[in-house]
Amino acid sequence: MAAPQIPNLNSLRRGRGRGRGIGRSTDNGSDSRPSAKDRIVQGTDNDASVSRLSAVDLGYLTDAYATALTPRGSATRRFPIINRGTYVRTTAIDQLVTHFLGPYTPEQTQTKRKQIISLGAGSDTRVFRILSSRQPSDLVYHEIDFAVNTASKIQAIRSTPKLRQALGIDTPDAEVSISETGDALHSPSYHIHPVDLRSLSANTGSDLSTILPGVERGLPTLLVSECCLIYLSPSEAEQVVKFFTEHLFQSQPATPLGLVLYEPIRPDDAFGRTMVSNLATRGIQLQTLHKYASLEAQRCRLKEQGFGDGQAGADIEFIWKNWICEAEKERVAGLEMLDEMEEWQLLARHYCIAWGWRDGSDTSVFQGWTSLKAQLE
Amino acid sequence: MSDLDRAIEQLRACRLIPESQVRELCYKARELLIEEGNVVSVDAPVTICGDIHGQFHDLMELFRVGGDVPDTNYLFMGDFVDRGFYSLESFLLLLCLKVRYPDRMTLIRGNHESRQITTVYGFYDECIRKYGSANVWRYCCEVFDYLALGAIVLGASSELEPTTASANDTTQSTMPIDDTELETEVLNSRGEVTMSTYRARQRSSSDASTDSRNISPPRDISAAPGQLSAPTRSGAPGTGAGGDSNGSAPGSRTGAVLCVHGGLSPLIDSVDKIRLIDRKQEVPHEGAMCDLLWSDPDEIEGWGLSPRGAGFLFGGDIVKQFNHFNGLSLVARAHQLVMEGYKEMFDGGIVTVWSAPNYCYRCGNVAAILELGEDTSSGGTVARSNGEYGRSNGVMGADSLSTVVSPGRRYRVFEAAAQDTRGMPAKKPVADYFLVSETYPLTIANSS
Repeated sequence: MAAPQIPNLNSLRRGRGRGRGIGRSTDNGSDSRPSAKDRIVQGTDNDASVSRLSAVDLGYLTDAYATALTPRGSATRRFPIINRGTYVRTTAIDQLVTHFLGPYTPEQTQTKRKQIISLGAGSDTRVFRILSSRQPSDLVYHEIDFAVNTASKIQAIRSTPKLRQALGIDTPDAEVSISETGDALHSPSYHIHPVDLRSLSANTGSDLSTILPGVERGLPTLLVSECCLIYLSPSEAEQVVKFFTEHLFQSQPATPLGLVLYEPIRPDDAFGRTMVSNLATRGIQLQTLHKYASLEAQRCRLKEQGFGDGQAGADIEFIWKNWICEAEKERVAGLEMLDEMEEWQLLARHYCIAWGWRDGSDTSVFQGWTSLKAQLE
Repeated sequence: MSDLDRAIEQLRACRLIPESQVRELCYKARELLIEEGNVVSVDAPVTICGDIHGQFHDLMELFRVGGDVPDTNYLFMGDFVDRGFYSLESFLLLLCLKVRYPDRMTLIRGNHESRQITTVYGFYDECIRKYGSANVWRYCCEVFDYLALGAIVLGASSELEPTTASANDTTQSTMPIDDTELETEVLNSRGEVTMSTYRARQRSSSDASTDSRNISPPRDISAAPGQLSAPTRSGAPGTGAGGDSNGSAPGSRTGAVLCVHGGLSPLIDSVDKIRLIDRKQEVPHEGAMCDLLWSDPDEIEGWGLSPRGAGFLFGGDIVKQFNHFNGLSLVARAHQLVMEGYKEMFDGGIVTVWSAPNYCYRCGNVAAILELGEDTSSGGTVARSNGEYGRSNGVMGADSLSTVVSPGRRYRVFEAAAQDTRGMPAKKPVADYFLVSETYPLTIANSS
């Protein structure tokens, strides 16, 4: 809680007018004019990047790109409980992604290609970490977010050689194009789309290939929503998922498709109620929280929304206990004294990771996920 | 009106006092605290409070619920600072009250009263922010070094005087029958009784051993109350301690209550060993002093490693032995958030008291304080037996028929204070949620 009571000036700085509904995003009917609420959310994105940097600085995570994607001057040491949460969340999604991608084999980069689509990616660094370790690349990575967010990320990429290097676009002959408005980026392995997710479902009748250029509709694909869909209304969130499962990706024969969700849950106990009301005072409404309030509800959701071959979930506390090996737990626990055990349990039980998949034409793609320990409740 | 009274008035209004005055206050407090032993003796009646953590407005609510100083005799079990936004106001007010009413205010040290922890958990930053330098933080840390490590409450009554007001329909109580005494009572912040338990009067030791006295509310998030073997606190107090400095005086059936922030230590088997610690230092990373401030009871047997990285976990058997050996009837401690404000474990051998409601402005918990009444049955003379080293030697024979009975316990449960009352400056605190958003603009959710 490093001074959350002090207004986050960075959120104001980043709420500038660039990318205001121009270019692709306007074509798709989105409107990302910054408003007071935009700035609030920009603030929460900064929160996330600052939290990541804090966890990196203290040795929880290794992430060479955290500094470049955190607004300068906003580095702040987070409480141990927040650092541990950032660590578990990042590590858990990394594990799911790793199992999906499988081991990297240089001779198979063209034949075993896969695809990741990150929804509301914000300042996430995962793409840099993955691509830097898999060159030449055997995957295509897409990020979808509002223009105001994609523009600042592209700005960071432009100004940071290390980021371009990670993406493999640091050579003069690199095939990379950035839109005039600076909010869209396309390269062979990485695409940034300034798109309002809600607008996707409105475009199901038009030429799907122009909505998200670079998406390969036959590649085994992983969708990642880290606290993204939860901000939409339940029907909007469902429509977004449907756009991918039914429209963008062919269903006959079905493209192998997985979805990883990371979201708060359990809004109905004392902690959950307080969380909902506290976030409301910050102008944050987690619209699907009550609909998908439990792990059971998350599994049903995945099953009903096109991921019929497997659904599982676990809260962050469970993942800390069961996914992290003892030696690593000891290492992490030794980084800082954690005088917040009860609070850690409370907080960590109110966030979950849920994952579901459809095998489609290739039952081997999500095979690795079946070995992950799920929470049965 | 003295400067001190003026400072108290100012701090009560949540306004800070000048740095020079803080310096003077800390100096006086240290002079006072240096005279206290590691284990302070406190006479019942006393109101025992747990963690405060800079939640100033909730501290005011605590005083409203528990009574004002000096009318009420208070014992705070540490963790005054960090986490909340008003650590300075909270700690300086308590310190002023300590200096003003030394006999009505006991402060013992929590694990957050430490240089290292306060630099991580907020108090240091708050000092810099509010005073512009680390001076006040330094003064406060010097006071921390002199705080006692524990307290012994003597002369607590085994029987509570019943509270008259009761929340009619919600009262759940065992039937008071003849030859019973009121053992525990839980009151809400309006002073209405919401639960009470009774026990047989003048029990024999065998009665005590079969009486389960876990009265913690059921929906606690922590581990469920243990089903350990029934306690056998049947031997005469002090019998295990070679007859020195333990046990209650004849006529007083109630054993002493040890108050400590965290819990027990494998290096400490008697209260007297606590007295031997050189406490005037920063909280060490290990050792007896560290354990007293960091350890937690747990549903285990013996000792276990603490997930906190300091102190230990200790089981019901350890508590039972310790209490028996020292003629104690109860260990009262704080340190752990409990959603219902208090939690008794191990058949009432230990209780956690937590006094920071809606902890960190986000946990949704209630808080509690524990009142122990005064035993007037022995004509007002207080059993000093466990207060000072070496007293009451041999008062109790090993074959004494006296039984150590736990004190009557009245818990007052309260919720977080409304932030905009009583004209105190209060901004709506912003709770920190980890991982809430890797950004997606919210406007889209509300623009339709």
